[in-house]
Amino acid sequence: MTRSPGGGGPHWGSGVIEADVALRRSRFFVGVPALGYLIYVAVLSAGYYYNLTFVQLGLIDLGTRLVGMPEGQVSVAMAALALLAFVVALVTGRVMDKRGWSSDLRVKFRILFVVVATQTVLTMVAPQVATPRQFGLWVMFSAVGIGAGIPVTFSLMIDFIPIRHRGYVAAVVTGLAFSAAALYPLEWRIDEFAPLMTLVMIPAAAALGVISFRRFAFVDELARQHERFGIGRFCRPTPIATASLAFWMLVIVMFSVFFIDSLGSLRIIDTPAYISTSWQSPSIGPRLFIAVAHVVGAAMAGVLYTSFGRRWLLVWIFGLFAFTHLLYTFHLGTSPAGMDPPLVLPLFYVLAVSFYTTLNFALWPDLSTPSTVGTNTALGVGIAGWLASFLSTALALYSISSGLSLLEHLRYVNALALLLAVAYPLVLYFRRMRTLATNPEST
Amino acid sequence: MNLALIPLLIAALLMASTDPNIETVELVLNGTHQITEHRGALVVADAQVTVPSDEQVPGPIYVVGGELVVAGRISTDVIHLAGTVTVESGAEITGELQHIGGSQQVSASSQIGQRSSLGDSPAAGNPLVRIASLVFLTLTLAGVGRSLARRRISALHNVAGAISSHPIITFTVGTLLTLTFLSVFVFMAFTFILLPVAIVGLLAGAVTVAYGFIAWGDLIGRRLPVHRQDLSTAIGVVLAVAALQLLALLPLIGDLIALAVLLTGVGAVAVTYFGVASFTPELMPDEG
Repeated sequence: MTRSPGGGGPHWGSGVIEADVALRRSRFFVGVPALGYLIYVAVLSAGYYYNLTFVQLGLIDLGTRLVGMPEGQVSVAMAALALLAFVVALVTGRVMDKRGWSSDLRVKFRILFVVVATQTVLTMVAPQVATPRQFGLWVMFSAVGIGAGIPVTFSLMIDFIPIRHRGYVAAVVTGLAFSAAALYPLEWRIDEFAPLMTLVMIPAAAALGVISFRRFAFVDELARQHERFGIGRFCRPTPIATASLAFWMLVIVMFSVFFIDSLGSLRIIDTPAYISTSWQSPSIGPRLFIAVAHVVGAAMAGVLYTSFGRRWLLVWIFGLFAFTHLLYTFHLGTSPAGMDPPLVLPLFYVLAVSFYTTLNFALWPDLSTPSTVGTNTALGVGIAGWLASFLSTALALYSISSGLSLLEHLRYVNALALLLAVAYPLVLYFRRMRTLATNPEST
Repeated sequence: MNLALIPLLIAALLMASTDPNIETVELVLNGTHQITEHRGALVVADAQVTVPSDEQVPGPIYVVGGELVVAGRISTDVIHLAGTVTVESGAEITGELQHIGGSQQVSASSQIGQRSSLGDSPAAGNPLVRIASLVFLTLTLAGVGRSLARRRISALHNVAGAISSHPIITFTVGTLLTLTFLSVFVFMAFTFILLPVAIVGLLAGAVTVAYGFIAWGDLIGRRLPVHRQDLSTAIGVVLAVAALQLLALLPLIGDLIALAVLLTGVGAVAVTYFGVASFTPELMPDEG
């Protein structure tokens, strides 16, 4: 007796029928994992693009231009959003791990459906937000959606992506999200974003609803994959505990990376001379250059993540950020008036961003097991990603409102970047030294 | 920016650093510009820069690529290392127009304080000289390759092994290192204080590129029916140079392949610590 892979009815009969079933089964098995890759890439790249542009940049436009709030108040709202999103992410992640939802794909799809449906409604109503009270409510619901979405989406890697492919798949997600953001020729205005995003999100929410609430054989098959590769790369043979120093060192390091990036980039994109010649250039050339640089940077990060230890990648990230901010401060201090800044400035920025984003997608699932991935991704992405980005965005807005010049602001960012670029290798070096001193045979 | 301009850019900065009258240097990397407000020295890289007819700029101006069009007045020197310099009718260069390389169009009715040329020697542009230079470079690389194969064959094999076993990883590392360090060296050169470090860095980079290329030669040499390893490496290097010359006949694609070959070599040298150790990528844990 042969049972179809989808759990359908039994088949009796000749060897020909069995061979046919076996053939169909083999095709089925080849196709289903590929579907997992597709779902992961689609969900994460669309989700990252949405949150990267619509929420982080659109929120500023919504608060300052449409509602007419001062930048200081918008920065407070952004900080509140970051904190609330983090708390919701943490609670969701903990509940997922405790109830076993982290390894239950169907539950994750259902939560994701609720998140996408909520965000679709929020996107539709965004251009109608007119008062500070409505803005506050919009921010609150947005934070809940983001918070719940973080552990659900980032933990999908353990269901869909085998360990050896995680760096490359993370690179694909990063490349797609950032190149789309670079190529899409819109100003960061919420009333331009909202209709287009709604058009994309409605069918996505519908598709998620269908696969969440109807039973499909391919979902059952995908849901079992975590049994093979759910335990992350850095948890073999010994799992890394959430409360361990190794885990929290990485949280702190990644927090620093995201913090420095947003702190610098929010002021750079607020400067017409830089933004109009790069990310929002009216001609396609610079934007295409940035999009390609994102893809190349992500691909490089994918190769490095897969082939080397994570520490090397972090050293490169800090080095690239330090150098990027040096370039910007140098250019600000020395460039002739009226001369377009060279593309080498955004090039290094883009490389650094692609590097750390790729790392961010792959790192937290690789530091987790199916029973810790909810909490770990919530802590990792929540603290290092959202909390850092939004806190530094709020700080950048505060720096604008307090009249700090771009050069002055970038000097602070530069100092932070240089400090970390020097401190991180030193910490690694002294840790190695301590290991050698306490255990000379570990050479 | 064209990466080939970087050595010329460093050379221009080196010249500028020896001039006690220069306090600041401005670099024009790309695009089309008219110089109206300017102080200190100016370096023209991959850009088109015009000094308009009603403007006077102090200079000196170093042209390492792109195009400089002089319609107005330059109060000091123009040093032309590469690219194009056009001096239009009625334009004036008070100091010296030094021609080291590149093409020039100078109007007869322009005023130039003094003209000198290092690039107009009979040897310049002569195909025989170019071939002789290539032969000299090839023989030097082959000689170094032969010497390395005699004395440090395991190191050479480590680098060659990294190229053949992990071309994508070595290409990635090579690209990243080259891109980052070239930019860092140019940046250092602009500080003037770190100019010697930038020059040493560029020389170290050239040594790394040569080492990686010799490893390619070793890879080719091992496939030849030559039993002596040192000889096969030397012949392999000669064949590698010949292959790159043939590739250069293909526009763009040939250059890209040649660049990929060199970057892969650089990456292989880096990941093997100059051949000290063989390279093994991080092992992925077994799944299941």
